[in-house]
Amino acid sequence: MKFRNSVLLSALMAATALGGIANAQDGEKQYRFVMVSHIGSNDPNMGWLTKSMEEFERKYPNVKTEYISTNNYSVQEHVRLLEQAISTQPDGIAVPIVSSDAFEGPLRKAIEAGIPVVAFNIPDGRPEGERIPYLTYVGGDEYLTGKKLGEYALEKAEAGEIPKPTHVVCASHDSAHQGLKARCAGMKDAMEKAGAKVDELFIGAEPATARNTLQSFLQANPDTNYIFTVAGWSSPWAWGVANEMKLDPDVDDKGVTVLTVDEGPVSIEGVRAGHVLATNSQGFWLQGYAPMEWLYWNKEFGYAPQSYILTGPVIINKDNADKWAELVRGVFGDKAYDEQNTW
Amino acid sequence: MKQIVRSQGFGAIIGVVVVLVVFSLIDFSGWWTAQTITNVTQFTAILSFVAMGQALVIMTKEIDLSVGSVYGLAGVAFITLEPSFGVPGSLVIALVMAAFVGLLQALTVVKGHLPSMIVTLGGLFAVRGIIYVWTGGSVHNFSADARIHPVTRLFGGELFGVEAAIFWLVVVAAVLGIVLRATPFGNRLLATGGNRESAESRGVRTDRVKIWAFVLCSLLAGFAGILTLCNQPQTHVTLGENMELEAISAAVIGGCLLTGGRGSIIGAVLGALIVVSFRYELIALGAPSSWYITFVGVVLIVAVIFNQKLARFLGHSV
Repeated sequence: MKFRNSVLLSALMAATALGGIANAQDGEKQYRFVMVSHIGSNDPNMGWLTKSMEEFERKYPNVKTEYISTNNYSVQEHVRLLEQAISTQPDGIAVPIVSSDAFEGPLRKAIEAGIPVVAFNIPDGRPEGERIPYLTYVGGDEYLTGKKLGEYALEKAEAGEIPKPTHVVCASHDSAHQGLKARCAGMKDAMEKAGAKVDELFIGAEPATARNTLQSFLQANPDTNYIFTVAGWSSPWAWGVANEMKLDPDVDDKGVTVLTVDEGPVSIEGVRAGHVLATNSQGFWLQGYAPMEWLYWNKEFGYAPQSYILTGPVIINKDNADKWAELVRGVFGDKAYDEQNTW
Repeated sequence: MKQIVRSQGFGAIIGVVVVLVVFSLIDFSGWWTAQTITNVTQFTAILSFVAMGQALVIMTKEIDLSVGSVYGLAGVAFITLEPSFGVPGSLVIALVMAAFVGLLQALTVVKGHLPSMIVTLGGLFAVRGIIYVWTGGSVHNFSADARIHPVTRLFGGELFGVEAAIFWLVVVAAVLGIVLRATPFGNRLLATGGNRESAESRGVRTDRVKIWAFVLCSLLAGFAGILTLCNQPQTHVTLGENMELEAISAAVIGGCLLTGGRGSIIGAVLGALIVVSFRYELIALGAPSSWYITFVGVVLIVAVIFNQKLARFLGHSV
């Protein structure tokens, strides 16, 4: 695998070194860490997490990692899955805090029972002191994801490369997902400063319904000239709808501009093809590896980080998309990469 | 006129008229545009296929909760198998897979004497699981050659100046309407749902009728999935998720009674039109799009009450 991301390399080097120390010890304790994720087999991003956990297991043979996930964007089902995982008494849990209220009860019980918890992908968004007392958070900053993408778009608009935003629609597939809401909030704050109106639209995850919903919105709001899809896989739908409506959605100085998220093949190829202005990386690979590592260090040495560990956002645009494509091909393989490109 | 009033889609006709009048009053300039009508009718066509199949099953006093997953499976199979079997080959295989799921569920319901709600609920989860396992989370696209293949254009482009999905809806709805109203099979289907014992006493093989209804339902759902992807080949493994609820709503709003024996093809199509129209208009009025499902729920309940009262008024026992 060709990892060019320096952060990733640093983490791997640290992991290798500590892995060596761990392996050198005799009579090692056996651990079982569980990642209870909302990124299911319906989401290509799952590959980042499972592959990085496989890498972790190779470095720490005395640790068994398990990846369990929901597939249908249901907070209730995610909570049930979490409760089931806790009942198996794992040595550590990594979980995204999709809903602070819903996850609070089971996670506090787990922590009180001595199971260390690392939040990944989505933190508890409440103020310090009110948050679930997990060990740390490893992941991107969802609010910053939207804000930085918005600011990047505004820079390009100022430079005359794309139209200035008048009305931005943030198209979300899950109305209860606080991480997605934070992305929209970040975009909203960036765009409203520039005088643009911002609306959040729940399009759902079903492709035909999502297209129908977005098309209805664009027809009813013809001043909309930016579409921000908060999942990479829905960006081709947004582009397709705008294209069908002859709104000129490619990246140029007229028509509609599409922005999206994630470092998956769909998002990167959208940028490379000139359909999407920019996307972001939230360091998915590290989000699988680093939580396991912190759980291990906590169990083995009692270490606890004193701050959140941010793995993103990193803006992916036409200037660096080729390098990102190379990196992602290195992780997923050429065949999987090409198959996941739905443009 | 008397015939229209007594028709089983009369409730849906009233519903559509009310919807059109209300939407015209509150948003005339937004509603009556070519773009709005194209948007609404195109998705109505897709949902109608699933709703028509659902209506056939409901008329036999059963229900099929797996249609959304079958729609997804056929679509995914169509795209995934295309590189190996070509567009026509993958289309046929996808439809055969859909029909097979319908047959399997029908046999389980009929021969196992099990409630269709449970069997097809199992089908919903099992088929969706198959999609996830098969695709590994990502569904690739049609190749450039496949997109311009004549078969793809036949189901996804424009035919005689209208969207292919709408053209095929008119054709299939007309055929099914005739089958339901003017053939012995149609009579048997309604008789099976209306009064099974009575139908059997007259020699109707109700088990066979139900099996055909389930197979047709799955076939129509699968065909809708293929139509969707011929038109827009960019998809995802969530294809068809929750579509069963919209399809059941459309069939019920269109006049189907869950007690069986009553319903119509035109009613299912009009029910789909009402459901899709509501989504458009709520968004156009600036309501949060998540309100849509609330409104569908309200319309569904109102429609059930109205259709039952209408049926009783017309002298039908419900």
